[in-house]
Amino acid sequence: MALIRNFEEAAYRAYERNELEGTIHASIGQEGVAVGVAAALRDSDKMLSHHRGHGHALAKGVNPKRLMAELFGRADGVCGGKGGSMHVADVKCGFLGSLAVVGSSIPLAVGVALAARRAQEDTVCVVFFGDGGVNQGVLYEAMNLAAIWKLGVVFVCENNAYAITTPAKKVTAGEGVQTRAQAFGLSALRVDGQDVEEVAGATRTLVAEARAGQPALLECLTYRFLGHSRSDPPHGRYRTREEVERWQGRDPLVVLAHEAGLDAEECVRLDAQAQAEVHEAIEFARASPRPTAEELAKDVWGDV
Amino acid sequence: MRGSFFEGEGVALSREAAQSGVLFPEAIRCALEDGMAQDESIVLLGQDIAAGFPFGATRDLAGVFGEERVRDTPISEAASMGCGIGAAMMGVRTVVEVDFAGFLLLGLDQLVNNAAKLRYMSGGQLRVPLVVRVGQGPFGAFAAQHSQAQHAWLASVPGLALCVPSDAQDAYTLMRWALRQNDPVVFAEDMRSYRTKGALVREGAEASEAAAEGEAAAEGEGSAEGEAAAEAEDLPRARVVRPGRDATVVCFGFGTLLALSAADELATHGIELEVVDLRLLSPLDEHTIGESARHTGRVLCLGEDPLLGGITAMLAAAVDHTAHGTLIARLGARHWPTPFGSSEELVYPSADSVVAAVRRLIEWPNAGQAEITNGDFQMASMQ
Repeated sequence: MALIRNFEEAAYRAYERNELEGTIHASIGQEGVAVGVAAALRDSDKMLSHHRGHGHALAKGVNPKRLMAELFGRADGVCGGKGGSMHVADVKCGFLGSLAVVGSSIPLAVGVALAARRAQEDTVCVVFFGDGGVNQGVLYEAMNLAAIWKLGVVFVCENNAYAITTPAKKVTAGEGVQTRAQAFGLSALRVDGQDVEEVAGATRTLVAEARAGQPALLECLTYRFLGHSRSDPPHGRYRTREEVERWQGRDPLVVLAHEAGLDAEECVRLDAQAQAEVHEAIEFARASPRPTAEELAKDVWGDV
Repeated sequence: MRGSFFEGEGVALSREAAQSGVLFPEAIRCALEDGMAQDESIVLLGQDIAAGFPFGATRDLAGVFGEERVRDTPISEAASMGCGIGAAMMGVRTVVEVDFAGFLLLGLDQLVNNAAKLRYMSGGQLRVPLVVRVGQGPFGAFAAQHSQAQHAWLASVPGLALCVPSDAQDAYTLMRWALRQNDPVVFAEDMRSYRTKGALVREGAEASEAAAEGEAAAEGEGSAEGEAAAEAEDLPRARVVRPGRDATVVCFGFGTLLALSAADELATHGIELEVVDLRLLSPLDEHTIGESARHTGRVLCLGEDPLLGGITAMLAAAVDHTAHGTLIARLGARHWPTPFGSSEELVYPSADSVVAAVRRLIEWPNAGQAEITNGDFQMASMQ
């Protein structure tokens, strides 16, 4: 979690120095979800993510240097600098991709689980989406397919309460995604996403079921401490300072430190270690060249 | 001129072409069957495919290969397409069937945003060996939403190949080819072809062995060079299905049958029409188009979508690019949604309108651009 926190803070600063192009969606405040879910998976399990996916990638084992180089759009990036912040994949780690169209990675998870079934493997595929993705129709098409075909999919909703500026409560009918999932016959739990141990525990329960062919949903209540992207301040326009500060009081790193009984000295040491790793990643990314036009022309279709 | 193309000498193919041999959907079924027998990774997804509904292209395959491999889906085009992509990413070669053009739009986010881009965005880590079968054009008086032509849209998406077979044999050959590719192929079946028949020779054991070498999992760069070579060698070229000297029709799908029929009619008047059947619209074989254009000097580009933004504009540009100075005409659909009933014939080109367009092209005295819609013929000088 300290690595994700430091990684995204450093990426954000690089963005503010105009070293990064495009935009950046930081998951600062939501690290407990990424780490808790990943902790419950085997290396051979697969993961799909969304536009706010740096934390998921790091938690699944993507090398921070190569991830940072990808954010910098450099040739040594994990996707050769062609995907960027919102389209990261590292197949060797089982991180099959973060995709930028809200909800569009969800049905891929059903296919990945179908492929596992065909190969007679008991690996599961976890797919993340936010409270914004909860109102995409394809989520329910995918839940239905996973349920009728009894596939090992774990749908993980990171409910950070806002789809950009729109409060989830304002645009989501009924009790929310947990009860919707139950209507499809999925096992469904709701947990405190700021508590990494609670997330990991619930994920272990659901992953075990998914391996046996019972698809599941986990809803994690969480909060992004920063704005949606750089153009959006942490508070002011649609969130009050009080609300943001209240959630910052439930920082997942602090919650874990407390639960694990870490003293201040140990926390400082872990943070410094993460900082050093991220510093190395930034230096690696800076030193990497941009992809050449020849490299950019590759991997379109067939032999080109 | 409006309507006059339908009142001329009748050379149009009858709606149920009286040919002998195997029906077009049966040829596709044979290709799927032979492909699935050879490659156990192939899985079919689609609505009512176990029953082979509606055109018989998957008939009996569930009986042969089981419902694990021939999977009926709910009416959920987006999730079915996404599921096909996710499975393909993991090396399960998947064929997703979408019966009618209008339904494809529900799966288009998955096809365009994911299938077409995952290999590129992942820097080549992911491959998506997906085949999407989709009906195109008018058929059965199903009207505006079932009957439409989307060739230009689909051809314009980087990362997709677009197959447009014109007869039963080529439907078989191109489907077998599509089932060996490691990147997504849209297999656009002109629905008017479903009632046509043609001779069919299925690939033998030798061809099957060669094809097996082309298979590969969707990971690693180790064998990438070998795969690339196989793909490059394997790319189907456009073909001259009828040689001629006076003018060329560049066409595909059912349009090729219209052009062949028009060529028979024109031959009785001493006009020798060359017919180039494209087979693929992406990648586009500009070389073969250019050769024929330089040979005849006059080219009619025939498509099924409207002239504005349609595939014929792209074909005309390809002719100009490869054989500058060629007299070019375009024949496409009217800029209308497809009306209900037999009125659909007013919208789409027919053999009669091909004959008339070729005559105008041959009569046209100077180099220039000719624009022709079905029943609404315009030619514009380049001056």
